[in-house]
Order: sequence, then C-alpha cells, then structure tokens
Amino acid sequence: MAKQYAHPEVLVSNAWVDEHRQDSAVRIVESDEDVLLYQQGHVPGAVKIDWHTDLQDQTVRDYVDKNHFAELCSTKGIANHTTVVFYGDKSNWWACYAFWVFKLYGHADCRIMDGGRKRWELDGRPWQRDPESQYPRTQYVAQDPDPAIRAFRDEVLKHQKGGKPLVDVRSPGEYTGELLHMSDYPQEGALRGGHIPGAANVPWSRAVKEDGTFKSAKELETIYATEAGLKRRAAIIAYCRIGERSSHTWFVLQYLLGFPKVKNYDGSWTEWGNTVGVPIEKGAGQPATHPEAVGSGT
Amino acid sequence: MNAQPSTKLQEIAAEFAELEPRERLELLLEFAEKLAPLPARYQAERDAGLNRVTECQTPVFLWVHIDNDQVHIDADVAPEAPTVKGFVSLLVDIFSGATPAESLAVEPNLVQSFGLVEALGMVRMRGLQAIAHHVRRKIAEAAAA
Repeated sequence: MAKQYAHPEVLVSNAWVDEHRQDSAVRIVESDEDVLLYQQGHVPGAVKIDWHTDLQDQTVRDYVDKNHFAELCSTKGIANHTTVVFYGDKSNWWACYAFWVFKLYGHADCRIMDGGRKRWELDGRPWQRDPESQYPRTQYVAQDPDPAIRAFRDEVLKHQKGGKPLVDVRSPGEYTGELLHMSDYPQEGALRGGHIPGAANVPWSRAVKEDGTFKSAKELETIYATEAGLKRRAAIIAYCRIGERSSHTWFVLQYLLGFPKVKNYDGSWTEWGNTVGVPIEKGAGQPATHPEAVGSGT
Repeated sequence: MNAQPSTKLQEIAAEFAELEPRERLELLLEFAEKLAPLPARYQAERDAGLNRVTECQTPVFLWVHIDNDQVHIDADVAPEAPTVKGFVSLLVDIFSGATPAESLAVEPNLVQSFGLVEALGMVRMRGLQAIAHHVRRKIAEAAAA
C-alpha cells in the first residue's frame, strides 16, 4: 500500500541510501543514543554527529551556536546544498533530534533513513568498521536559529494558559507522574512528576513499527488527529524529558502528517518540572486511550 | 595471586589516559567485544528478566558471587548498547578475583577515571556511574550473605 505522507521526500529507504553512499551531493549522518555504535559499525561512508558532544554546549545549556554549527558541518564535509540523510538507533530517535537541530540552523535538504540502524541490519546491508570517512572541508554558512520550530519556557506557559494544544510524548508512567523518568533510564533530575496541564499523552514510540520504520500516514493520522485530537492547523507544542523524543514526534507531525505549526519544547520536563511557579497536572489527564499507549517509553 | 582491583583500575586508567578522547572510544569498544558470553546456567534467569540492573537504560544483567573470598561477576548486555557493555566489561576486569574488602576499597566514582567525559558527555556518564554503584552494592550484599 502506498504511503501518502505530507512530505514524502524527507523519508528515504535504506535501499536509496545504499545506492547513494558514493554520491558527493549526499552526506549520510549517524546519530545514536549509544555513542559506540558508530565505531562498532556504520553505513559505509557515513559520518558521526553526536547529539550530546557535538550538538550541545553544556556551558550555556543550549545547542552549539550558529558558528559552531557551521564549523561542525564544514568539518564533516557538509555544504549548504548537501542532501543530509540522518539515521540511528532507537527507531531514529536521535536522528530526528539531529534533523531538528539542522533545521533549526536552516539546513535546506534534510532527510531521515526510514528504519534506521535496525532496518539496515534486518535487511542485511553492509556495515563499515573503519574510522570515520573524511570529506573535503566546506565553507558552511548557518542561518540564525529558526524560532518557528523551537519553543521556550515562557512561550509554553503562555500557550498552556491559552488552552492551546500540547503533546506529551513520554511514557504513560512519566505523564501521570508515577515515574520521574522512563523506566530503565537514569533519573535526570526533575523534582516533580506529572505533565503540563492540558497536554495529551501520545508516547513517541507509537509512531513506529516493530522494525523501526514509521507507520503509514493513515495510521499516524488516526493516532494523532483522531485519538489525541490534534488539529492540523493549530499551533502545537511537543515535549518530553529533554527534547529528544519530542523531536521524533515533531518530525512525524510536521513532515509525515504535514501539520504546519509544530514546535519542539526542548527544555521539556527537566525544565518545566523544576521551574518555580509553573503549574503541573498529575494523573491521567487526557491520555490517548489506546492499548498500545501502555508500556515503556522505548 | 590476583592484582589488587585498585591497581588494575590504575593500570586501565593509565591505558585510557595515553589515548586521545576519540581513541578512548575504540578502547572501550575493545572491552565491549571481550566481555565473555553469559554462561549457559544463567540464560534462563536472564530470559525471565531476573538480575536486571534497574538503574540502567539498556538491558544489563549481572550476577555477583563470592567464592573462596573472591569476587566473580557474570554479565550480559545487549549488543546494541556497546558503551554500556564496554563499561561492564571494564568492571568485570577490575573486580574479578579480588576479595570483597579490596573491591569495596576501590574509588566508588570510578567512572571518572577513564577520561571519557569528553567523548561520552555527562548524561551517559551518569548512567554508567549507576552501574558501578550497582556492582559495588551487589558485592557488599554477596559478601554479607
């Protein structure tokens, strides 16, 4: 059955990637939760960009700035016109995060390899163990961060007070406040458990199938529009714990379903749950009631 | 005679210190690859979800025993989590064959010893530290039993 995603060009198959490994107009980028997976074996020719050590600046608790981002792209052989294809572990969770950061700095042509590492492995495609491939340095020019896809705390508070839609993509246990973090994950320092009042709960993992590929447009429409009640034209803010899982949902809403006004609140629960003077809600709230919604965050 | 675990820790730490931060990941991967497969006698317990390290992000299973006043650690970590697997392998190297008393005398925050923070970042370091504390607690429990 043909999928009819809103922006089908942003999702490429691993067969496409396999064919374009030597294509100088394409750069393949691996972004993982586990930082050693790339060393263990990666798509031949792919470069590595780590969400934590390459894309974040711990001294300001923010992303690397425009100049650092440009420098990162230049050293990885990514030019402004390069087609950048992201893939990774965990159903492309971190790949979507890297995709989001690239969009934040205005990179034009970003894509996701459907199914990530998992599907590549299942399909028996080759892994390369050699050190990271080096490409000719570019003179990348980054844009100013795009405020259309990133939400900050004060804006989220205003959004919440205005009764506008929020989607909490964490596991049901984190949403209700029973857990402060995903089961099996280390606690990352929120003092309160619960969710932003009014947020609907749609765990991010509901968007993917067992093999790590995305569900069909029709299935996604059912989950996000019918069950969670998100309106296509509404301004929607997605959040999770540190902004990684919600960048996955942001990708689904914006590119697969074509919702035009979706922002990722990367401060997410570690900021909101700890912030003085902002309200939270505990308990079931408005979870999407679906059997698949019960289970872990991963 | 087995080397003291604190000496082993120093030796391994020195090995890491000689390398550039990126090369340290290669060494950690070598540790991941040399972790012995889980002995058959524990596989049923693992499949039943027993002995799982609940502090950890990835499925990690650990069995800690004391025989003749020597620590024995058997572990199983999913292959898709080589960072965790490499660190568990380091812990097995450091503690195996030591006495519980020697093991508990080792620096508790030993994850800091390998110069990995630059390559891994703080979030991942916290996860690994949780495993080190788990092993330490299991050694103390096994010694007290």
